[in-house]
Amino acid sequence: MDMTLNAFTLSILTGLQLGSIYVLIALGLTLIFGTLGVVNFAHGALYLIAIYLAVSINNALGFGLALIIVPPVLFIIGVLLERGLIQRFYDRPHTDQILVTFGLAIVLQEFLKWVFGANNIPFTIPAWGNGIIFMHEYLPFLEGFVVYPKWRMILVVVAIVTVSAVFALLHLTRFGLVIRAGMRDAEMLQFLGVNINRRFMVVFGLGAMIAGIAGVFGGPVTQVSPEVGMQLLVPSFLIVVIGGMGSLGGAVLAGILIGMAQSFTAPYIYINTIIIYLITVIILLVRPRGLLGAKGVFE
Amino acid sequence: MTDVKSEDTNKKTGWSRRDVLKATSAGAAAGATPMFFTQNAWAEEAIGNYPVKGSEVVLGFNVPQTGAYADEGADELRAYKLAVKHLNNGGGMLDTLKPSKLTGNGILGKKVTYVTGDTQTNADASRTSARRMIERDKVIMVTGGSSSGIAIAQQYLCNELGIIFMCGLTHSNDTTGKDKQRYGFRHFFNAHMTGKALSPVLSKEYGKDRRAFHLTADYSWGHTQQESMQEFTEKEGWSTAGNIMTPLKTTDFSQYLSQVLNSDADVLILNHYGANMVNSLTNAVNFGMRDMQKNGKNLEIVVPLYSRLMAKGAGSANIDGVLGTSGWNWALQDEGSQVFVKTFTDEYGFPPSQAAHTCYVQTLLYANACEMAGTFYPPEVIKALEDFKFTGAGNGETLYRGSDHQCIKDILVMQGKSPSARTSEFDYLKIVDEVDAATVDYDPAIFGGELGPYIPA
Repeated sequence: MDMTLNAFTLSILTGLQLGSIYVLIALGLTLIFGTLGVVNFAHGALYLIAIYLAVSINNALGFGLALIIVPPVLFIIGVLLERGLIQRFYDRPHTDQILVTFGLAIVLQEFLKWVFGANNIPFTIPAWGNGIIFMHEYLPFLEGFVVYPKWRMILVVVAIVTVSAVFALLHLTRFGLVIRAGMRDAEMLQFLGVNINRRFMVVFGLGAMIAGIAGVFGGPVTQVSPEVGMQLLVPSFLIVVIGGMGSLGGAVLAGILIGMAQSFTAPYIYINTIIIYLITVIILLVRPRGLLGAKGVFE
Repeated sequence: MTDVKSEDTNKKTGWSRRDVLKATSAGAAAGATPMFFTQNAWAEEAIGNYPVKGSEVVLGFNVPQTGAYADEGADELRAYKLAVKHLNNGGGMLDTLKPSKLTGNGILGKKVTYVTGDTQTNADASRTSARRMIERDKVIMVTGGSSSGIAIAQQYLCNELGIIFMCGLTHSNDTTGKDKQRYGFRHFFNAHMTGKALSPVLSKEYGKDRRAFHLTADYSWGHTQQESMQEFTEKEGWSTAGNIMTPLKTTDFSQYLSQVLNSDADVLILNHYGANMVNSLTNAVNFGMRDMQKNGKNLEIVVPLYSRLMAKGAGSANIDGVLGTSGWNWALQDEGSQVFVKTFTDEYGFPPSQAAHTCYVQTLLYANACEMAGTFYPPEVIKALEDFKFTGAGNGETLYRGSDHQCIKDILVMQGKSPSARTSEFDYLKIVDEVDAATVDYDPAIFGGELGPYIPA
């Protein structure tokens, strides 16, 4: 298929949009791993809870309320999860963490299926986000008629804002400073009288909250069915690995890279299905710690 | 002493009471021998779980209870339970199926019971589950499934083990084409019949000068559906702009839809089923494809295989006006459909899906074939099903074609209803055309394959 400028632009937009949803999920994953050292395979299930909550509130009470309610609720779920289950596994091997979080993911998935059924639930996009953007009106180099769904562009903007906010929180606030210090040496921080455990609980809640934001805006894109969580978990986990375990910048970079790769290989199904694994293998061969992975993490 | 004496006495006469009894029963057996051998010449030979021992016969219902097709599976299971109820107590289509030897007293006088399994919409899981039913639960027949890949996998296994497999929802040409088996039977229609029925309606609605782009689920059914749609739309004068195979687990189709936008196609054909179709159609609507013009014409979306559950998942605003085909619909007015809809609705509170219909009918057809053959012996039951012609099961006069075990029957061209046109929460699709069996009939030789022997190797 020859690639015209229009086709190229559409593929770039699609890559960005695919990357955005990956980044939003991988961000929570890598944040939790980077600070708590926990491989949270239940993160896809947190996204699943978010989309089901979002679609229920959206279809009954409107999108505004979904946006106000879902992320804080996910934060609370995250905190409860950390206090009730995850904290008991901090000192256990990674395999134990993977097993318990994976098991939890399956339980949550089946529970949601039991409550809502296995079929898709249509997610009505609010009127202000519905419709298409005439890209040729904004990008003069395009020829003729090029359109893209408005909601997917909004998703890209939401991803950019969320990533910026997380970076700002970690690098511009005292809370972020303590967290980053805790990532380096939690023991030393405790010697200095900082209650790092309470902050870790907040970080887990934050990770879940980002899944909540992803669910509210990503639901109409990924659709609302019980399999979605697991389907997104594998690429998102690989993105964390490619980006470098625990590296936020790496996750963003890898997310966009995978999104672009999937978009540009779409016409070639057999490459399209393996491209993410192909990239993972190549990057891990060249850079075993991932794109921006730090020395000593998960080693 | 007395006993010994009397024995001696009897020996002298040559006949004891026991001898007389033995002689009488031997005589009776000998007298019945000619009949016994003409009807039950096969009786000594064990195949699969034949002979059926005891007063009950067990059927195996292997449906997806988890995974993407779980809702279809749940409806299939409801239909199977209803079929068992009707087989044991009468009612339902037992009153409309013709010709029928079903009495409402089980099958061949044995009470019908069942076991269920979960295919998980996964070939390995479905085989494991079917094998468990056959080996542990001693089922005489297996039925179910909501995917062609799964149906074909189970069909091969059952054929090998000498167990008849009555396919549930499977629409790939391969099921009764290249992968057909002597022990496998399909009541549902197939992709070829969809292409044949739908394409003339499409060219009538949208014109003959159209260019189609296909997005296709990357497995047996998707491939044959795409081939059939391309073949028959091209016969109507359409051309094909492209086809992309999409992985079955895709939920976001934007990467593929971008390719459609880049092409010069003015029709998008979604060869997707279940959750796959729901997602691709919803995505296409988000891309503005239902309000778009290409080549000076409205861009149209076609969904070759439709179901009410899919329509519900996609939402009626998104399917409004979209054309496709179905095997059966609860709005049909014939006697068989009506009685099935009524009994199903009375039992469960809502009307059945096409998956439920085909599974219900398959169970009754198997039971009836056993009654006609007068035995559960699989080769005789198979022969009773082969070239069996019947009515009263909801699709007009139907032939269970002997050469490929495919039912040849009327199929429906359906169109999505707008939200305002719906009359109930189950009313998503309207019947545009009932295409008769003769129109969708085809030569089974075009798909190749061999049924194999009646007695498994």
